[in-house]
Amino acid sequence: MLYACCLCFVTLGGEEVRMPITDDMILEATQQLYSRALRKVPEDTKVALAEAMRRETNETARRTLNMQLKSAELAERKDAFVCSDSGVPVYFVKVGSKAELACDFKASIRKGYEILVETIDPPLLKHVTNPLTLERGYHGKDMPIVSYDFESGVDYVEMVCTPKALGSGRWAALELFTFPTLEQIETYILDVAIKAGAQHCPPVIMGVGIGGTFDHCAGLAKKQTLRPIGKKNDDPMLAAMEERLTDAVNALGFGPMGTGGDTTALAVHVDYSSGHGFTPVAVCFNCWINRRTSVRIWGDGRMEWGE
Amino acid sequence: MTVREHELVLPLTESAVRSLAVGDTVFLSGEIFATAGLPTHDRLLRCLDGDEALPFDMKGGALFHLGSLNEEAEDGSHHIIYMNPTTSTRFNGHMPRLIEGLGLRATGGKGGLSAESAEAMARLGCVYLSFLGGGAQIITAAIRKVTGIGWPEMISHYRIARIEVERLGPLTVGIDAHGNSIYDLTNARALENRSAILARMNAARAAIGKP
Repeated sequence: MLYACCLCFVTLGGEEVRMPITDDMILEATQQLYSRALRKVPEDTKVALAEAMRRETNETARRTLNMQLKSAELAERKDAFVCSDSGVPVYFVKVGSKAELACDFKASIRKGYEILVETIDPPLLKHVTNPLTLERGYHGKDMPIVSYDFESGVDYVEMVCTPKALGSGRWAALELFTFPTLEQIETYILDVAIKAGAQHCPPVIMGVGIGGTFDHCAGLAKKQTLRPIGKKNDDPMLAAMEERLTDAVNALGFGPMGTGGDTTALAVHVDYSSGHGFTPVAVCFNCWINRRTSVRIWGDGRMEWGE
Repeated sequence: MTVREHELVLPLTESAVRSLAVGDTVFLSGEIFATAGLPTHDRLLRCLDGDEALPFDMKGGALFHLGSLNEEAEDGSHHIIYMNPTTSTRFNGHMPRLIEGLGLRATGGKGGLSAESAEAMARLGCVYLSFLGGGAQIITAAIRKVTGIGWPEMISHYRIARIEVERLGPLTVGIDAHGNSIYDLTNARALENRSAILARMNAARAAIGKP
């Protein structure tokens, strides 16, 4: 409590009110983010599905895209889950350098997830799996999976939740090259898409990371699946690569739910980091329901919910 | 191209199954079986080995790769809160023998099955139906009644649910009973097109001076 008091500047007479971000706010965010992610397909994704439906030349594919939009609408209207695989809990936390903190992120996110499991309506299925024994439940070592980062100059904490299910999760891949050409990199990305084929509930959002180190590269790819669809990459070289890869993956013809068509990827998003001459290339997928939710939290109690 | 639509009543006759072609749309009414469990499929194979009895006679039936949250009410009746497909290729190793041993007329889920299953389906008269992944509300809405739960000691989505459905669908015929598989066709086409696609990417890079 002493810590909280030190950071709490409630002044009478209209001066700035500064209060810290508390455990209660993190608890609330952890629960709400997961629950919301299961019930609503993001707006940019629905727009991309509708655009794909207009472009599609395959009748079965058009029907499937239409059904995907209908499924999203139904779940939203009934405040129910879009998919039965509620995945495993995955969170990203970004702490602003000017945010005032009076919270224990690790403990509160874990507690928030525990409360969610107890209270969510409808209940979740047991998807958290011990990889050594294959026993399944709601909890396990290192759950929820949380990554932390910082942001300079902002006074809020941003949390993102992206529940990860089996359907698209199992097709992610990473390979290491030495001084690769762009052709080698792009060929590898296309081959990962071929291997995933009809399996990952297409049309998917593909995230690609190039460079850095093994661990960093996987993170780059993952974060690119969270980027809003339809926003052109600021880097012209990456923007051109994204366009080439999106066209290439869609030319494969797997189509929505893999039953043929022109729409296998709604977007391919690429990021890179400098590295040594050994160059990891990581590719991962979000299925068409593209589960992600975000919130910005300020010390005065404001919580701004986003997608 | 127009898509053929079929309203089918379960159990399916062999001739009804043989009349379906890949790409057709199907709505099903009647009784289905649903499970999403890999251990369940292992256990079904053990039943065929004679290690234990099957929870249901599925001969001529439809067994789909659907995971459900099922609950038992105080009066002992079962209810499904939501249901949705899982990836069928996880069961590639099980299905050829299960299709034959259980005597299935239909199976399905999402993502299809391998050529070995397609061969068994053509030989025995069985189809694979593709469900919409992320279609929980559409699929659950077709449930009229849960008529049995097999292996209730397993976790919810591993159990075998016997369910009465009305107009379950639309489902797409992914593998028909004539040896045609959309999955094998699209995969072969993708591999065929691979070099042409790579050549187009090379040309696009060359056009902006990025080899």
